[in-house]
Amino acid sequence: MVNSNWLMVSQVANYHLLFTIYHLPFIKTMTRYIIRRSLQSLLLLWIATLIGFSIYQAAPGGPLQFMDDDPRRNAEDLNRLNRLYGLDRTILVEYVSWSFGEDWLPATPFWQSGRCMNDVQNCSRGITRLDFGRSFYFQGESVISLIVERMPATFLLAFTSLVLSAVIGVPLGIISALTRGRWPDNLIRVSTVVINTVPDWWIGLLLLIILGGYLQVVPLSGMQDIGDGSFWDRVHHLLLPAVVSSIGGWIGFSRILRFEMLEVLNQDYVRTARAKGLSQITVIVRHVLRNAMLPFVTSFGSIFLLVLSGSVLFENVFSWPGMGRLAYTAINARDYPLMMALFVIGSFLGILGVLMVDILYSVVDPRVRYDRQRV
Amino acid sequence: MRDRGNVRYAAPLLLMSLALFLSSCSAPAAPAAAVAPAAEATTTTATETITETTTTVTATTASTVTQATEQSSAAQAGALSGITVTSDEDVTIPRTHIGGEYKDVSSSDAVSFHPYLTTDAASSSYQGLVYSGSLLRLDEETLDYIPNMAESYAIAEDGLTFTFHLRQNMQWSDGQPLTAQDFKWTYDQATNPDNAFPYLSQLGFITSYEAIDDYTLQIKIGEIYAPALGQMSGLITPLPKHIWENLPWGDPEKNPEINSPSVVSGAYKLVEWKRDQYVTFAANENYWYKGSPNLASYTIEIVPDQDIEYQKLKSGEVDTGYIPPEKLEEARTLDNVSVYEWWPAAASWSYIGLNMRAGFVTNDINVRHGLAYAIDKQLLTDEVMLGQAKRLCSVFPETSWTYNPDVPCYDYDPDTAVAEFAKSGYTFSDGQMLDPEGNQVTLKLVYGPNTNKVRELIAVTVQDYLSQIGINVEVQALEWSSFLDAIQAEEPDWDMFIGGWSSTIEPHIMYTIWAEDSIPSLNSVAYINKDVEQLFQAGGATYDTAVRKEKYGEVQKLVAEDAPYIFLFYNKAWSGQNKRVQGIDPKPLGIGWNFEDWYVQE
Repeated sequence: MVNSNWLMVSQVANYHLLFTIYHLPFIKTMTRYIIRRSLQSLLLLWIATLIGFSIYQAAPGGPLQFMDDDPRRNAEDLNRLNRLYGLDRTILVEYVSWSFGEDWLPATPFWQSGRCMNDVQNCSRGITRLDFGRSFYFQGESVISLIVERMPATFLLAFTSLVLSAVIGVPLGIISALTRGRWPDNLIRVSTVVINTVPDWWIGLLLLIILGGYLQVVPLSGMQDIGDGSFWDRVHHLLLPAVVSSIGGWIGFSRILRFEMLEVLNQDYVRTARAKGLSQITVIVRHVLRNAMLPFVTSFGSIFLLVLSGSVLFENVFSWPGMGRLAYTAINARDYPLMMALFVIGSFLGILGVLMVDILYSVVDPRVRYDRQRV
Repeated sequence: MRDRGNVRYAAPLLLMSLALFLSSCSAPAAPAAAVAPAAEATTTTATETITETTTTVTATTASTVTQATEQSSAAQAGALSGITVTSDEDVTIPRTHIGGEYKDVSSSDAVSFHPYLTTDAASSSYQGLVYSGSLLRLDEETLDYIPNMAESYAIAEDGLTFTFHLRQNMQWSDGQPLTAQDFKWTYDQATNPDNAFPYLSQLGFITSYEAIDDYTLQIKIGEIYAPALGQMSGLITPLPKHIWENLPWGDPEKNPEINSPSVVSGAYKLVEWKRDQYVTFAANENYWYKGSPNLASYTIEIVPDQDIEYQKLKSGEVDTGYIPPEKLEEARTLDNVSVYEWWPAAASWSYIGLNMRAGFVTNDINVRHGLAYAIDKQLLTDEVMLGQAKRLCSVFPETSWTYNPDVPCYDYDPDTAVAEFAKSGYTFSDGQMLDPEGNQVTLKLVYGPNTNKVRELIAVTVQDYLSQIGINVEVQALEWSSFLDAIQAEEPDWDMFIGGWSSTIEPHIMYTIWAEDSIPSLNSVAYINKDVEQLFQAGGATYDTAVRKEKYGEVQKLVAEDAPYIFLFYNKAWSGQNKRVQGIDPKPLGIGWNFEDWYVQE
């Protein structure tokens, strides 16, 4: 008895040891890989901010352009405000101030903004110290708090729309694959393409006017009724915008599913399962979907990030207080801190998303992993 | 299989991030979102003329800071030096129809409730609801200045000292008395250069601003300045000193009053503000002007799409909303909506600016006259503006007290147009207008923003008319900032541009547009006429309205003769209101002047 227990324990220990030894190279390469990719991503992000900064500064206008066609302003006011906000500094200095802060720079008008020189508490500390600055258009409100205020609305819409895309796209893809070549497949493929060619905000506006204006079954605007805000009220408001914004995902999900399913359906082990006598449904669920989900899951990641940007036209139509509208307001007002913050966050999410998908894919698919070792 | 090479997709990734950004900011091109950025953004003198009229009902109440500078000096009739004006209005009689809810919409949200840091119309309208603004206000009939927060005012013999006696019953919403100390303290803060008041220079004419006692304000100015009364009484909206003096003036992170004012003097108190979604206000029982306003609750919902705004008005979800000009016919027939229309005293008007610099074809006065005759401005007014505008011939529209009808107006006459060109050696032959060297005349016309349908229509119509007299016109549409850059360039490359101004009730404010010093920023056409400048200065240096009217009348004549602009038309204003809202009475000041007296009847 004792012997067999001891045998079992030692077998388990053996197994663990062998497992570690077997995977050690993998862990080492994965770590090196992750570190390398992360550093590359950081570099990419930095280059992106440089480019973004230059483009925004190069565009005509600036945060004080609201004064341009106002007969009540004069040059003295403009100069005073330019100095106060440090907009009269050279672009390079402004970039350094934005990324590394201005509190460590010499206290001269060339280096620091007027409000920094007036009170050291007003100096920006730079994004490297996670100070995204204060908005010009919103008169000094912290950029991060403005963005965070809008994030829930955009995330809610993006997430729900993504889920709906999958919920509608996946069955469409399955039906398409199963009825390959016949009319349901053709219908699905053609209609998803056609619907996708029409801009989502246009469909949204049309449906909103019909369903909201004439039939009055959905609300015409906003995330909630004023004074309400209960769960069902929010669902009611979310319904149409989420469905309409999910349209873009139908074609993606249905195509991926169709492709994967078709690939897998022809594999030997599926034919084996069918030959064994398993019913169609069991075959699909157990074998096909499990394997088809793999690339599907990894694409999920990148599609999600695209949705997060928030389309301004779409948000305008539905009066949805999201990040898209914020970006549009910021750009029209040439509010540099807000624009740059949105740009950085957007780029960061984009780069992070691809990085994550990459790593996930490497972990999950051994074939790719071993190829990489040589690369 | 799917090899994701490390660096290979860096470039597309970058492009993707940029695309993420650009896609979220693509300019709306559809009629559904035809609001010009100008109207959405910050200027109160928005040159997007049609769309700005109806979304902010209360922007016309005299208590807003920016409105304050559009003051009438018809008032000066009562403000000749050495005069005292006392009000006999009884502001203690309470209103009688208290109760009910009013739902408004707006296409853009306010920036903040800080009267000295914001310049956009939406912020002004919110501020106007909670902060009572002015010592004086405009009488809705005569457009004179009448006492408001001050129950009387006096102007000394020399015309340089103004004394205001405040009403003694005014309170803040927390019960504290509203006194001259609040005015004085607010003035000191606003004029502190570190406090970044965008219109600080507008207060430059004031040399001294003192509170003689708790209910008396004395303001001194350096020299006689016609708009003085209006500006001094309107630019300073008092803030509660006892609340604000312990808070940093301009930091919304540390001063909660900026975004969430807790102690106010106006008709309404702020209840809730969800940025970019909605804002709700409740009546303020301590409001000094006849107590609580009738409408007990006032909400504004932010609906950026103007077609949806109109739908909401139609369905009764909101009590007022934007009516697009093409829907005006239909709106007038709706069961549940009344459409109010009026000709505003502070009208917005449109024009075509002609480049007067040397080396440009339009430098020649005969050419400018020729162009003016060649375009059918009446048709533009009738067809493009759908009858919601009237012809304008010079600097001030018909609704201004300075209006002079006796100016050249260049009615449509293509033959006279050709004759004018001929005076300078141009010849019209074979369908082409040739300059003295025999080359066809080509002109460049720019307009902005490129999303503005009205301007687009004007541009192509002008192009068409000028082609009929053989002139080739090249039209270029520009994005708003690029447009401003183009017309304000030191060395521009355009011959004509389409522009607009919002005129002010106080005529003197329009002076800067015609001054040589303002080239090229406000005086984009580079118009130089010293006589006009002298007339403006003379008009601004006296309080005598008869003299002023004569001077400004002369200005209109000279400018119309010189034709630096082809004056087009000025706009009518309209507003759709649900029929359940009563008490509305349109005047040249608008419909919001008596907003506190409106009530609902179900």
